Amino acid sequence: MAGEVMDRPGVAANGHVSPTSVADLQRGRGGGSEVPAMDVRDLRVYYDSEAGIVKAVDGVSFSLRAGERLALVGESGCGKTTLGMALMRLTKPPGYIDGGEARIDGVDLVQLEEEEMRLARLADIALVTQSAMNALNPVMTIQAQLIDGLMDHGIKDTKSNFQNHVRTLLRRVGLRESVARMYPHELSGGMKQRVAIATATSMNPRVIVADEPTSALDVVVQRQVMATLSVVQRETGAAVILIGHDMGLVAQFADRIGVMYAGKLVDIGSVSQVIEDPKHPYTRLLINSVPDLVEKRPRLEGIPGIPPPLVDLPPGCAFAPRCPSAGAPCSTVDPVFLDLGDDRYVSCHLYDDSVEMGD
Amino acid sequence: MSNLLELKSVTKVFGGGLFNRSGRTVAVEDVSFAIDADEASITAVAGESGSGKTTLARLLLGVIRPTAGEVIYDGQDVARMSGSQRRQFRREVQPIFQDPFEVYNPFYKADHLLHVAIEKFRLADTRQERSRLINEALETVGLRPEEMLGRYPHQLSGGQRQRMMVARALLLKPRIILADEPVSMVDASLRATILESIRSLNRDLGISIVYVTHDLTTAYQICNGILVMYKGSVVEQGDVEQVIKTPRHPYTRLLVESIPQMGEDTNWESGAVNLMSIDEAGETTGCKFADRCSEVMDTCHGVHPPRYQVADDVAVACYLYDTHAIEGTGSGSTGS
Repeated sequence: MAGEVMDRPGVAANGHVSPTSVADLQRGRGGGSEVPAMDVRDLRVYYDSEAGIVKAVDGVSFSLRAGERLALVGESGCGKTTLGMALMRLTKPPGYIDGGEARIDGVDLVQLEEEEMRLARLADIALVTQSAMNALNPVMTIQAQLIDGLMDHGIKDTKSNFQNHVRTLLRRVGLRESVARMYPHELSGGMKQRVAIATATSMNPRVIVADEPTSALDVVVQRQVMATLSVVQRETGAAVILIGHDMGLVAQFADRIGVMYAGKLVDIGSVSQVIEDPKHPYTRLLINSVPDLVEKRPRLEGIPGIPPPLVDLPPGCAFAPRCPSAGAPCSTVDPVFLDLGDDRYVSCHLYDDSVEMGD
Repeated sequence: MSNLLELKSVTKVFGGGLFNRSGRTVAVEDVSFAIDADEASITAVAGESGSGKTTLARLLLGVIRPTAGEVIYDGQDVARMSGSQRRQFRREVQPIFQDPFEVYNPFYKADHLLHVAIEKFRLADTRQERSRLINEALETVGLRPEEMLGRYPHQLSGGQRQRMMVARALLLKPRIILADEPVSMVDASLRATILESIRSLNRDLGISIVYVTHDLTTAYQICNGILVMYKGSVVEQGDVEQVIKTPRHPYTRLLVESIPQMGEDTNWESGAVNLMSIDEAGETTGCKFADRCSEVMDTCHGVHPPRYQVADDVAVACYLYDTHAIEGTGSGSTGS
């Protein structure tokens, strides 16, 4: 149900007017830095399966500050990509958004009509995926694809203004202007990924969802692409949600880390809080599984066991069966998302004074 | 000290042909290294995509033949083995591949793979013997046979599938396991679990491992020796502790610096936007890294640098180390 008052698609409730020309785009979108860039409340993404309802994302809430870099980490299958796709409203059947809100500038994306959402993508929230390089059209020049996206979102302008804008975008991601007239097959993987970043920022969105943007790339190119994303983020002021599993990588890039397990956010805090003082036992094990270059370890330790199937989860904490610190209440009482102060939240009985852990 | 497996100045050229010299790709150029027969080791072959590391792996497996140089296994040139020698070689040198999805036939149960291995190499005479071998191998890699047997590949997780591949390799009681990017498709937790199971094969069963990877962190953690490759050539080779902790070749340095580290406030990002990547670099007759090198000199554009022995157990192919005595060509070793 479209519950929002909107003059026309893409016009947000706080008065942000959709850009209609390249000059509008180049002016940037301003927007107060006090208002959160995105506010996600109790978002649920379910899948119908033969075995029952798969709760891939189950009641995730967080607030993304303007210009903030939030990383979402967790093992494969923890729901982080499902969450990212839901924020883009790109959940594919049999998956569906069961409920919750995802607001940008007051507008709840979950409630938008399909056509409104199509316009909001790129303009308000943009996506850079792992395979963004394969998303390029092989028979169009880079310039043509970039302009195509803008025109599709209602930007009207002269050819030379469009071309100017494309050159600016390419320069910002560290590519030569001549790339504008090239075809995707003429570019390397890292260059294609940078074109994807240029595309994602072509309309100055409030939020960029970057889903494992470098996992298919070599380490030097990875560094180059992340540095590019970093520069672009700073210049456009967009907030970035970086989805990944490499703790080292997200620690270098993000301001805050949110740890997901079995479809829920279980630990969230600033990078230094989470890395130096992990609260949730899962976070601790996740960090511990990352090898470093400081010293050789006698053993490499992964997290024992595998994540549970997300159908009919038993009561209590989903991590309890794998948790070294689990106590009696962990398999019976659902943990609540505790506010530890200082913008630190954790979902674990160990920090809940009202729960008697026993032994 | 005898060598179990040895590469002697191996070069592999693809494409081209008599009249088309420009279409040639030199995938591996003058690579030498050896695996000791008496002491089980883990050697990393590290490099970016396009560095020739997978071609090197295929040369080691005898799947392709070198254009020049020799691959010697147990004193025999792999290219000239008789049928029975070749069969023994194929059993004793086992591969584990990158993609644990591709190697399974979705129509067969996952353990079909194990049965085929047993049949091909006639490892068991009776049914009991066969299931004993399979159970043993699965347990060694930390899988519970009752959970694995009779299931289809799609019912197993990526980590289970990859460990089943390790179990398959184990069945054949190999002397060398060649693991080509075995963990590049799994998450951090599984990466640690799988690498630890590979390492325990080395430690407990005395199997030597060649670990082909782009990930220097895991190479540092599990290996003794390392070869760093760039565009088909080995740029730095030796003891892993030395190569990673005090990288000498500018390329090795670039690789090590580019690894994102947890909790370390490096200037990982600064200036990185303008880094040139391997496929943007041009062709040259001299050092292949010259185009991207921050310390490039005039000499670098001349001829390809020879190997300089800069320490007891480290050799570097870089003119920055010209002052070091030049070792006899083509006889690098992987160090301890």
